[in-house]
Amino acid sequence: MDVFGSFALLLALICAGYAFVGGIAAILTRHPLLIKSARQAGIATCGLIFLATFSLVYLFLTDNFSVAYVVEHSNRDLSDFFKVAALWSGQEGSLLFWSFLLSIYVLSVLIAYRNKNGELMPYVGVVMAGVQIFFLTLNNFVVSPFKVLGVTGASGVLNLVARADGNGLNPLLQYPEMVIHPPNLYSGYTGFTIPFAFALAALLARYPGEKWIHLTRRWTMIAWCFQTLGILLGAHWAYAVLGWGGYWAWDPVENASLLPWLSGTAFLHSVMMQEKRGMMKVWNVWLVFTTFFLCILGTFLTRSGVVSSVHAFAQSSIGNWFVGFLMIAIAVCVIAYVKNRDYLKSENQLDSIVSRESSFLFNNLVLLVACIAVLSGTLFPVFSEWFTGSKISVGTPFFNKVNIPLGLLLLFLTGVGPLLAWRKTSPESLRRNFGWPSVLAVIGAAAMYALGYRDAYSVVCFALCAFVAATIVLEFYRGARVVRVRSGASWVASCVDLTMRNTRRYGGYIVHFGMVLIFIGLAGAAFNKDVQKEMPIGSTIHIGPYDLLLQSVDQKQEPNYTAERMIFEVLKNNKPVMMLYPEKRDFHTGQQNGTMVAIYSTLREDLYVVYAGLSPDGNTPVIHVFLNPLVKFIWFGGVVVVMGTIVALLRERKAVLVLAGAKQEAPVKQLAGAMSPSVTLSEGHD
Amino acid sequence: MIKARRILGALLFCATALAPVASVRLLAQDSDRVRQIGGKFMCMCGCNQVLTQCNHVGCQTSSAMLKEISQALDRGQSETAITQMLVQEYGTAVYAEPPKSGFSLVAWTMPTIYLLLGTVLVIFIIYRWRKRAMPAPGTAAAPNVSPELLARARAQAERETED
Repeated sequence: MDVFGSFALLLALICAGYAFVGGIAAILTRHPLLIKSARQAGIATCGLIFLATFSLVYLFLTDNFSVAYVVEHSNRDLSDFFKVAALWSGQEGSLLFWSFLLSIYVLSVLIAYRNKNGELMPYVGVVMAGVQIFFLTLNNFVVSPFKVLGVTGASGVLNLVARADGNGLNPLLQYPEMVIHPPNLYSGYTGFTIPFAFALAALLARYPGEKWIHLTRRWTMIAWCFQTLGILLGAHWAYAVLGWGGYWAWDPVENASLLPWLSGTAFLHSVMMQEKRGMMKVWNVWLVFTTFFLCILGTFLTRSGVVSSVHAFAQSSIGNWFVGFLMIAIAVCVIAYVKNRDYLKSENQLDSIVSRESSFLFNNLVLLVACIAVLSGTLFPVFSEWFTGSKISVGTPFFNKVNIPLGLLLLFLTGVGPLLAWRKTSPESLRRNFGWPSVLAVIGAAAMYALGYRDAYSVVCFALCAFVAATIVLEFYRGARVVRVRSGASWVASCVDLTMRNTRRYGGYIVHFGMVLIFIGLAGAAFNKDVQKEMPIGSTIHIGPYDLLLQSVDQKQEPNYTAERMIFEVLKNNKPVMMLYPEKRDFHTGQQNGTMVAIYSTLREDLYVVYAGLSPDGNTPVIHVFLNPLVKFIWFGGVVVVMGTIVALLRERKAVLVLAGAKQEAPVKQLAGAMSPSVTLSEGHD
Repeated sequence: MIKARRILGALLFCATALAPVASVRLLAQDSDRVRQIGGKFMCMCGCNQVLTQCNHVGCQTSSAMLKEISQALDRGQSETAITQMLVQEYGTAVYAEPPKSGFSLVAWTMPTIYLLLGTVLVIFIIYRWRKRAMPAPGTAAAPNVSPELLARARAQAERETED
């Protein structure tokens, strides 16, 4: 099966090469057969990558310990669930998995547009094939996951050998979140290849700026949604597994995933300027390019070892390949832009500074500044070593100080933007739209202050969350009221109806609401408490309203590890609420160990208990307890963000369906004749 | 005289009774101070985490470093002196955030400069876009691309692409 996998990968590279060269020939000659054969080669490439990936999974599931990658990342006692996850646990497999996910996107695009966009698709196919060639080159020649173990015999002949068992999977990866976090994050990274391919293709084909935006909006949102989900799952994994009581440590790997997310978010907003007003065409093209470059740069940072990271399991010396590919990609984009930039001239102008357009400009500014600040902070240790000869670390305190004000500014714009009309907002409209949200923001801040929350940033954050939430509720209320008057439906039905009629706009509001929840959760971090104590059996530890009584210690045997488990009774205000079982696991392979955090999670706070090890004398367990307020809002907010994105991806319901249910037929007909229903309901804010 | 002795006795009793409370409070303050200062340095065990957040099971480095800070505080050393001591021992990689001096100032000032420059740029763009006269439809292309060519390209794109 290892030979089969290697052969499939090699064939995939050849097919990708043909899709690339044949695609260029097809563009030049416009020969229908060449166009078709290049597209078929693209499909074949994807099929062969699927085969190679499945063959590696098969090698894991059948415990084939003649393959080096399987030996390094699996063992016989590992459950099948984690054997599949072992595919992306190391450098070689994760890069194959990267190619696999990219192939899913490429195949979807090639099939979805097989009979459409005949002139544009060869360009798109060439760009996608170019990206695939790079990753397949790595898969085949640089970090092949199908290398077999061998020893040179006395006669000088290389003999294949197989180990009896493998080294096992990194204990930190043996958690359910770790099984779903990388696929989501990689789906985000690879997904941004599609808008990049369409943007570059449209530029190369000299298509005026709007078209590729329409074609790639959904692909961009899908990639963004996966990236969001991947980041949040990674944060949850860090929170539930690493045992330091937090979810985001500004580690270079975390930062690398945040960079394309920030620029992708900027793109998703500025793209509306182009769609509605034909503005910022150059900016949008470069935002998509930048997002793709940041995906590659992030991968380079995390795999090259150029910056030190806690995620050390996937470092190697393949950085030069990524730098080379990045240079080529940037050069191609610059040349394409310089040659065809005249086709990207904007047509519209700005009527007023108090307008939706201005808010988008500032939104993009803040997102991009945050992106650059995170990138420069991540790279600062490298720069400081270059310029001063000594490496200066940049840790959490720096990133928090720089990014918290930017985050609050962004939150403010999240509330302001949707309330401003396109072109110009009248003072009367400003008063009407901002009155209640501003009052609620002040009340929110005062309430937090009165409750004893005195951290300035957190109070501002809570106030802004109240402001943004109020603007969103007002938007739904006003829209639903119009629907309700016309249809007589209930408030809930009217809100659903409204959302389904303009999924993009109201899905966007749901996403914003999810972000508000996430910000509430982040603001709670200012009030975290923790206490660490050596605890003999029968002793208690106190934190906030909780007392934890260490009842006993036991051991449990699992096929892959032995766990030492602390058994705690949790009392809140002296009343028992639940049992918690933090544990330390000793894995049988590789003498590795890990912690398993126990969390009692409520909407108000998380009681987070870590068995940190034994005291220096080796007799007493050391327990670290954290009380983290509002953390659940982050995970709940993430779910809302994903739901909002899914709503925004849905096709909008035809307005006629709503109008059919109207009671007063005549005025509605008159209205429908006068203007489109979506305009009627959107009050100029769409 | 007896009254004065009684008052003195009562005061001594109160002082003795309150001493443990005061010392516990002092200890707590010391511990807070250690955590506050420890939060400004990285753990040097290789975990790449802030000293007070190192989560390695039984990490010897973080506890030794925290002990060092605690002992320095007991000796009455200032935060600056403790910083110098740790930098001398572990190098500049021990900083959790770059110092606000020398080359490290670049790290602190750049985000603000980006934001200020960006804001100026955005205001300039807004000003220019507002001043720009509204062109006739289809005449916004650059001189080397005629409006007809642009219109033809747009029509071609509309014809050849479907969502």
